[in-house]
Amino acid sequence: MEKIWEFYKNGQWEVPFLIFSICLFVATSLFLYLLIIESRNRNIKKERLRNEYSILIEKLMSSVIFEDVSFAALKEDKNLMVLFDTSFFRENVVETLINLHKNYEGIYALKLEQFYKDSGLIKDSFRKLKSLRWEIKCKGITELAELNVYDAFDTIVAFSKARNKTLKITAINACIKLAGTNGIVHLTEHADPIDDWTQVNIISAFKKHDIGDTKGVELLLESQNTTVVALGLKLIKELKLTQKVPYVAELAARTNNNLIKYEAQNVLQTLTL
Amino acid sequence: MDFLIKDLEWFLDMYILLVLGYAILIMSSYLVLAYLSTKALRSYLKKNSFVDYEVLLTSEFAPKLSLIAPAYNESFTIEENVKSLLSLNYNNYEVIVVNDGSKDNSMEILIKTYDLILAERDFHPQIETKKIRGLYISRNAAFKKLVVIDKENGGKADALNAGLNIANNPYVVCIDVDCILDKDSLLKLAKPFLESSGKRIIATGGVVRIANQCVIKNGRLVEVNIPDVMLSRIQVLEYLRAFLLGRMAWGKLDGLLLISGAFGAFDKEIALLAGGYDTKTVGEDMELVVRMRRYMLENTLPYTVCYIPDPLCWTEAPEDFKIFKKQRSRWMRGTIETLSFHKKMFLNPKYKLLGMLSVPYWTLFEFLAPGIEFIGLLITVFFIIFGLLNWHFFLLLVLFVYTFAVMFSVIALFSEERTYHKYPKQADFFKLLLAAFIEPVYFHPLTVYAALLGYKEKIKGTKGWGEMTRKGFTKKP
Repeated sequence: MEKIWEFYKNGQWEVPFLIFSICLFVATSLFLYLLIIESRNRNIKKERLRNEYSILIEKLMSSVIFEDVSFAALKEDKNLMVLFDTSFFRENVVETLINLHKNYEGIYALKLEQFYKDSGLIKDSFRKLKSLRWEIKCKGITELAELNVYDAFDTIVAFSKARNKTLKITAINACIKLAGTNGIVHLTEHADPIDDWTQVNIISAFKKHDIGDTKGVELLLESQNTTVVALGLKLIKELKLTQKVPYVAELAARTNNNLIKYEAQNVLQTLTL
Repeated sequence: MDFLIKDLEWFLDMYILLVLGYAILIMSSYLVLAYLSTKALRSYLKKNSFVDYEVLLTSEFAPKLSLIAPAYNESFTIEENVKSLLSLNYNNYEVIVVNDGSKDNSMEILIKTYDLILAERDFHPQIETKKIRGLYISRNAAFKKLVVIDKENGGKADALNAGLNIANNPYVVCIDVDCILDKDSLLKLAKPFLESSGKRIIATGGVVRIANQCVIKNGRLVEVNIPDVMLSRIQVLEYLRAFLLGRMAWGKLDGLLLISGAFGAFDKEIALLAGGYDTKTVGEDMELVVRMRRYMLENTLPYTVCYIPDPLCWTEAPEDFKIFKKQRSRWMRGTIETLSFHKKMFLNPKYKLLGMLSVPYWTLFEFLAPGIEFIGLLITVFFIIFGLLNWHFFLLLVLFVYTFAVMFSVIALFSEERTYHKYPKQADFFKLLLAAFIEPVYFHPLTVYAALLGYKEKIKGTKGWGEMTRKGFTKKP
């Protein structure tokens, strides 16, 4: 302490300290200013490229969907293949593919799925699943599920047990899209609580993907995890699954948990009125 | 005489040490908070890019909300403002407009526009308020979400309490009726209430931004602009610094003391158990959050307060110094009152992070800072008069503080650029950059002056808000 006081007392440090700090603040401000300018320029460049690519990709997709042009035929266009080697272009193609896939059904949707496989974009998505970063995994999962890659189900289902909540929700939604009710029955063994936000997402995924076959939802009512049971009850209520009423009645009769009993009776009342 | 000079030299040394120490402490705290904020913001944005808020729109399990909007003499804007509140992207909500004894024809406009009739709704007030003259609902099914309370004037806190008493839903959203809300603001504000994992979410709050010179259409913000008036332009920068670099960090640390009165959601049960809004303070928004937190801590109930960094609410900032002065002195009075009501929490380990960090931080850097600056100024004048000032050192010190302030503003601009990018026009960016250079020499002294007025008003015992005139937003036909 005495040394510090002596150091302070001799007054040698104050001016150099202030000059150093001022220089540091000025340099940091300048550096951040340059970063802002660089970021703005990059965004402008990206936007310009995106606009250029979107015209090209639209033409490409139109030929794939309406003119039955295969990827093998497209490969002959060397300029296109050069673009296909850039990750930004491929990202844009996947984005467009997903958007179109949401709008088309039947044969057109199948053509898009085939293009996804033939072009190797599917490999990019599978590669994303191996990333160490959860947000990249989420992206891969979304792409594979949107384009109905059923082979990915086993890998994706493993992510639905992840600790990261966003990854977990993305994976469960993808499982529901790919396998309907089978995509969530594994939750009966789930040990951690499933919060209301995750539950709302699961219910929404059922509605969004119009899951008709709900065989297996009743299994959720047998879980030891009360939040999974609550999810089962909410699904039955929200999807108006009157055929599940006997299972709900049985749950209401056997459960010792007052909250679950109340919820079950509430569902029974709603569905039997 | 020698003895006196020696004493004065010692005093001078101590003074420099204290000033420098305080400056370094405040600057370091700002930088630590900025670092934590940036980290938390990046994590939030990453997560948010995978969130589909639409799921709440169609779900009957979405939290049920009651919006409480106190109105006092708002006849010019009330029709449009209520309309915009009724058209938010959310399903499970009601809008409670509290006419707090307006002297103008606000009530007549509401009755006529929304076809209101007196309702026979039974309610048992849990908080005492000024007399309720009537409770109105609409005959028109299109406005079935709307409830209007007509009451005697009692101030904003009293009006909010009246709304709390009437609210039918478990969560209340308290807003300023003249604020412009983002269309998805309720979805974003409600989501955290579904995410509780063992801890009860007692309040959520979002970012407020300045809407001066922005273009509003049908009660929605359609074009973001930077104000030409320097006072409000610098406030844009000030809000960026406060919300992007400050509150996000406090939210991350779970030590947030303030949820802006312009837009915040509360767990109604806890708000009522804590006693509702305190009508004795002008800082009722901060005071309620502190009291709710204190209630939870004293009853050892696990809880948290959630902060949403998305810009959800846009408000009008004062454009002339007279109104600005009133607003800032009121803010200072509110801070003093809240800190003094809850002085028991100061450095009290029983209140955990709140007692050991948040309250001392607010005391030292929000409440005392203007006073310390003023004393510093007086001492500097004293040194100048007695020829004791080392001008070279003094100018370096001023430059040290100035360059830090500019750098901190540039950090805020950088953070905004990398996150929300709400000011994409080059001209707007340069306007803000210019404001960063002007802020320390123009705006900061004004805030210190207004805060000192707040001290004075508090000592004099001034109560109430005082009249606040607003210019109104630029509207697109």
